[in-house]
Amino acid sequence: MSFFLPLAHALVARKDLPVPAWLFAWGASIVLIVSFFALSVGWRTPRFERDRWRPLGAGLSRALLSPPAQVAYGLVGVFLLCLAIYAGLRGTEAPDRNFALTFLYVTTWLGFPLFSVFLGDVFRPFNPWRAAGRVVGGAFTALAGQRPAHLRYPERLGRWPAAAGLIAVVWLEIVYGASGGVAVGLDPHAAAVAALVYSAYTLAMMALFGVEQWCRTGEVFSVYFGMFGRLGCFGVKDGKLGVRRPLSATTTWATVPGSAAVVVASIATTSFDGAQEGAFKGALEGTFNHLVDAGVGLTSALRLTDTVFILLCFAGVGLVYLIGVRGMAGVPGAPSFEKLRAGFAHTLIPIAFAYLVAHYFSLFVFQEQAQFTYLLSDPLGTGTTDLFGTTSSGIDFQLLSANAIWYVQVGALVVGHVIGLTLAHDRATAYWGDYREAARSQYWMLAVMVAFTCFGLYLLSVANA
Amino acid sequence: MLLATPRVAVGAAIAIAAIVLLIVLSGNNSNSDTTTKGVTTIAIKNGKPVGGIAQLTYNRGEEVRFKVDSDVSDEVHMHGYDIMKDVKAGGSVSFDFPATIEGVFEAELEGRKEQILELTVNP
Repeated sequence: MSFFLPLAHALVARKDLPVPAWLFAWGASIVLIVSFFALSVGWRTPRFERDRWRPLGAGLSRALLSPPAQVAYGLVGVFLLCLAIYAGLRGTEAPDRNFALTFLYVTTWLGFPLFSVFLGDVFRPFNPWRAAGRVVGGAFTALAGQRPAHLRYPERLGRWPAAAGLIAVVWLEIVYGASGGVAVGLDPHAAAVAALVYSAYTLAMMALFGVEQWCRTGEVFSVYFGMFGRLGCFGVKDGKLGVRRPLSATTTWATVPGSAAVVVASIATTSFDGAQEGAFKGALEGTFNHLVDAGVGLTSALRLTDTVFILLCFAGVGLVYLIGVRGMAGVPGAPSFEKLRAGFAHTLIPIAFAYLVAHYFSLFVFQEQAQFTYLLSDPLGTGTTDLFGTTSSGIDFQLLSANAIWYVQVGALVVGHVIGLTLAHDRATAYWGDYREAARSQYWMLAVMVAFTCFGLYLLSVANA
Repeated sequence: MLLATPRVAVGAAIAIAAIVLLIVLSGNNSNSDTTTKGVTTIAIKNGKPVGGIAQLTYNRGEEVRFKVDSDVSDEVHMHGYDIMKDVKAGGSVSFDFPATIEGVFEAELEGRKEQILELTVNP
């Protein structure tokens, strides 16, 4: 038996054309040339290890961070989460007409990384679970007359729960959502139920370990969006809003164990999504047909196949990184393997972001038109409301030409590559006293980054879903 | 300057060779895409496209023309272009529209969620 695998996404009415061969060649050439150039002109003392944070005006800081403002941000977050869950439970089953799916998987999941990269951790104030947790904690303190006691968070667990959660969020959309033989994606009802389950889990964990502790290490969205926020230039320190040197906050991000797993999971899940209809299509269909022939049901076979491949992607991306780390550890004067493994994890954040832009840029631009027109006016998609008079608007797919999309995709990968190399070189100058050995260690990270960037380009040139 | 060391020079030479290779290789297969001419007929039997999902390729600005002969009653939905046409069991329906939007799109039997066509519009 032989089946064609269905389209995994519920929202995609249009897919990107593969990047043409000439642009692939140019992109790869620029990456290689830039990489060798980087080796020859590297600076000798670290520039990003200190963030040079300085406060913004006290008035602005007070206005934006005042308790009433923080309550307002929290309320906005809670309201939007509730709206998405309500729309998912009560609205239409058509994924593209329901507010829930676009809001959760496009506006939030893709939008926050985008804004965080430039601004900083903008999700934190709007995080609905953090807001709810703080209210409950405050109420407990007021009633009991003492602050709530929490369990000690196991240090070694670190950010592993967030890494696993990240894979689960993507898995829900592109693996659970796809069912055998029929081209439908995740239905809004399932997304809403998942959001409810996740909320219960998150609030329970916050009760056990404390709100801030769980946001720092376990809460998927805080950790994931916060990771990209480290690239941005705004940050809060001691209750004051300030500006820091862009990229500098990444250098202290991976001090929590398991951080490398988070950034690896991000690259791996995006790779899988990009590859499933192109580079991995043959392998996926082969595995799927084997399972079906062995008597596994269509839906189970599809989910099992995709799950195995997502985990293989995670292992593969992690392995490439670890080989690079192992190589660096062999350079004279190197710190321990463990220190290097954590110490260079942040250099992959720009690569992870570049992968996101390369794979989801057009989807985000097109789907946000729906988000701010008919999905906002008719969140349930039942045709019963027209809150802002925009229900009849559609998505203008002519907004972006194929050429514009290609240039953004390849440009993002090249820029991400350059920033990744910059951060890695900077970290090497901090770890190795001798400049020549620092540069030698960077042959390894350079190989890792060229591998990721060229793999990203390859995925785009085969097909992109 | 590190570029003076032999290892890097060798690396750079390999890289340049790789680039040349890539460009040469890519030059060979860049003219292989062909566009669809005339009217294609997609036959639907038992609610599925005969011979698998049809593939049509056009350049932007050309006319997309295809006909769906169906043995089931359903609605044919051309995604992206958002054109919907009903078809009766045993009947047929024709599509004729300019390829104005670049990208890869699917047409499906809306009621059955069955994809019947993948339409590619190149710039």
